[in-house]
Amino acid sequence: MSLTSILFTVFFYLAVSLCLVGVTLKVIQYASTPVPLKIPTAPAPLTKFGVILRMMREVFLFSSLFKASKWTWLFGWLFHWALVLLFIRHLPYFWPGETPEILRQTESLRYAAFPLIFGLSGLLARRFFVDRVRYISAPSDYLLLILLILIALTGALMTFAQFYPDMGKVYAFAEGLITFDWSELPSGGIFLAHIFMVFVLIAIFPISKILHAPGVFFSPTLNQVDDARKKRHISDWAFDKEKNSKGG
Amino acid sequence: MAAILGAEVDEEGYLLNIGDWSKEIALAMAAEDEIELTPEHWEVINFLKEYFEEYDFAPAVRVLTKAIAKRLGNDKGNSRYLYSLFPYGPAKQGCRFAGLPKPTGCV
Amino acid sequence: MEKFDTPKLETYLKTPALKSDVMTGSGPFKANADMQKSLGFPGKKVDNWQQVAIEKMGETISKYRSLPVFLDACVKCGACADKCHYFLGTGDPKNMPVARQDLFRSVYRRHFTFAGKYFPKLVGAKEFDESMLDDWYNYFHQCSECRRCSVYCPYGIDTAEITMAAREVMNAIGVGQKYCNQILGKVKKIGNNLGMPEPALRDTLLDLEEEIEEDTGVAVKLPLDHQGAEILLITPSADFFAEPHIDGLIGYAKVFHQSGDSWTLSSYASEGANFGMFIGNYDIMREGALRIRKAALDLGVKRIIVGECGHAWRVAYSFWNTLTGIGDGATDEYALQLQNQLNQNYPQPQHIIEYTYDLIQKGRLTFDKSKNDHRTVTFHDSCNVARGSNMGGIENGQFILPREVIKAACNHFVDMSEGTIKASTFCCGGGGGLLTDDLLELRVKGALPRMQALKQSEEKGGVNTLAALCAICKSQFSKVLPYYDFDPFMVVSVHQLVSEALVLDGENSQQESKAL
Ligand code: SF4
Ligand code: SF4
Repeated sequence: MSLTSILFTVFFYLAVSLCLVGVTLKVIQYASTPVPLKIPTAPAPLTKFGVILRMMREVFLFSSLFKASKWTWLFGWLFHWALVLLFIRHLPYFWPGETPEILRQTESLRYAAFPLIFGLSGLLARRFFVDRVRYISAPSDYLLLILLILIALTGALMTFAQFYPDMGKVYAFAEGLITFDWSELPSGGIFLAHIFMVFVLIAIFPISKILHAPGVFFSPTLNQVDDARKKRHISDWAFDKEKNSKGG
Repeated sequence: MAAILGAEVDEEGYLLNIGDWSKEIALAMAAEDEIELTPEHWEVINFLKEYFEEYDFAPAVRVLTKAIAKRLGNDKGNSRYLYSLFPYGPAKQGCRFAGLPKPTGCV
Repeated sequence: MEKFDTPKLETYLKTPALKSDVMTGSGPFKANADMQKSLGFPGKKVDNWQQVAIEKMGETISKYRSLPVFLDACVKCGACADKCHYFLGTGDPKNMPVARQDLFRSVYRRHFTFAGKYFPKLVGAKEFDESMLDDWYNYFHQCSECRRCSVYCPYGIDTAEITMAAREVMNAIGVGQKYCNQILGKVKKIGNNLGMPEPALRDTLLDLEEEIEEDTGVAVKLPLDHQGAEILLITPSADFFAEPHIDGLIGYAKVFHQSGDSWTLSSYASEGANFGMFIGNYDIMREGALRIRKAALDLGVKRIIVGECGHAWRVAYSFWNTLTGIGDGATDEYALQLQNQLNQNYPQPQHIIEYTYDLIQKGRLTFDKSKNDHRTVTFHDSCNVARGSNMGGIENGQFILPREVIKAACNHFVDMSEGTIKASTFCCGGGGGLLTDDLLELRVKGALPRMQALKQSEEKGGVNTLAALCAICKSQFSKVLPYYDFDPFMVVSVHQLVSEALVLDGENSQQESKAL
């Protein structure tokens, strides 16, 4: 295998490991940190089922964001859903052996690249042109968007502007990563740039704000049932205080 | 520490020691707030002081308005009137002029 | 005396252009050594304050899940940026909720995250230096912990949680706020925020009894420390002292009188407010709640009812059961004793609005609504009730019940426009420990969005009465309404409206006989 292929292969595993280990650690941290008080925010559901509905509305529809800002919602929602579709669109590359029928039907999902680029550009434009958003943006906030846009652009160039790499090699390389049966990368700068940036994105997941993805499920304002009067809610460290309670 | 006529006050202008109070201090405080103390003002200030003497606390605004109604007539026993005397609030501004501590809390 | 301009009310609420640092300053008065020490905080800023602060940050982050999640998850989308009344009123960018959080987050990143330790510039991580501490003190005392921002954030990020943590950290290094800490000291010593001693309270209540009897001819009582009463009423001490609060207290008394349930106030627990929440201190908040538990046990009551106070109701509804086991499920001796003592057929605690609403539903209260015909009423949803609690145990009950109570007592009710009420309600501008004269400019400017909505309802709906059910809201409005050319006396307690329209048994014949 060429040195480039080796480096990319190693980088892939490195990035995925960093991501998995990092996110796992973060999730463990969130899960093991106590929630001493009931702090659901309005409109607070009174039942578990209500919480599930609320979470689905937030995760699938971005309902709070919709209330807050229609433009940010439009850009953000398009971008996230396009990303999901394009993720599915990439699964066939990695599928070991015969690609299942259903995944072969994903060809047309490639058009999601356009809403993706549209959404990301909109978000980037907001960072530049809306003074409030500019004020709160750190360099990393711009860079993350630019990284995503470049990933989308390189992908779109290959797909729609005929800068195809050798597709057989792409399949072999991607499949090889999954089956540990490594093979040579196809040549082509655009392709290499594309996957390099994707690997970077994977690697920085646990040390960046992409942590909002697991974070949202741990948000106590969103995931708590509003039933404090009915059911006692108490954390371990608070419970310890009661052992020497004197009635007030 | 700031002071008024030699008497120490806190950062909000309330006397630190109620014993330091004198009419001159009340007049000086009022002058700072651009208020001229009329007999009605004094009636309020005196009641505040008397009540404080007894209860170690400033009277509730309602108690004050009723006392003022008794002393100055019913038409003056309401907080609208007291606010016209003490635009910063009869409790807060009144207490300051009377040398009492500032009422705290959600008031 | 003021050195600031009151903002103009436009025809609609505008998002201001950024005016960097217009609200910069030294913040509200700081607590002196005595006030600090009475709460167990260092008397003055400790020498190694940076180290202590970072340690305290680490501790809070490990004790409250909201903190690591909120600090990590924010994507800087800016959705919350224009939702804070203090930003809308001042234009200072550091009053955008996300920017306020960033004061905390930048230090968190520097000391607690990989990216911030090794690439501080890249991710906006900052050292906790003097100027950062100044910004903390200043801007974490420009947040009323109203939680409006949390409603709009896609991850529910609640800036109030960050503000509470920041105040907790500052107290731990000896930098506390005078207003909150002085008051908490008084609660500890005397039992209420005012520092009102028992004799003054007793005298005030007697005065009110006299007044009601003069007005109505009916001997409505306001019992204090009445052993064996059915109901313990816990209300903000402002209800004993301030206007228009006290008319609300009269309203509660009349409702209890009509219902026939025996009730009492407590001189030991003469405070519903709990500023422990404002400074983010669990132990102090718990102490306040334990006072109430003790009073309930000592007086042998069967029910606990909370008067009109916004954050008191949040603490009571959402936290009491956790802090003291007032409702159900606790296992320590006193909690068990209380659980046995309380009548579990009712939710514990209940809000006075829930109580009155129930009586109305059962047809046990009669109103002469025409008594309120000179009023066109609108209702200000208090933040802590709207976004931190519930009433009636039904979805959105905290919005429905108060309005139903008002409508039962008044013929003319108009809501302010959507987006400024209910879950989206705008803070009065004085909550969260900011109701102090040294923050008057902030309070006036922060009231802008509410005043805007009020003005609209005045112009379109002829509103002349603003009903509220929070002691802070009532005091704040009384103070700031004139700055916007409203009558300060237009603000009333919800239970004042009840009081004015409620027909007391025996009242009519009395008045008629007077007339004869
Ligand atoms: S909690 Fe309220 S005051 Fe604080 S930042 Fe959020 S909106 Fe502003
Ligand atoms: S809305 Fe939430 S995620 Fe967006 S900037 Fe504000 S706090 Fe951050």
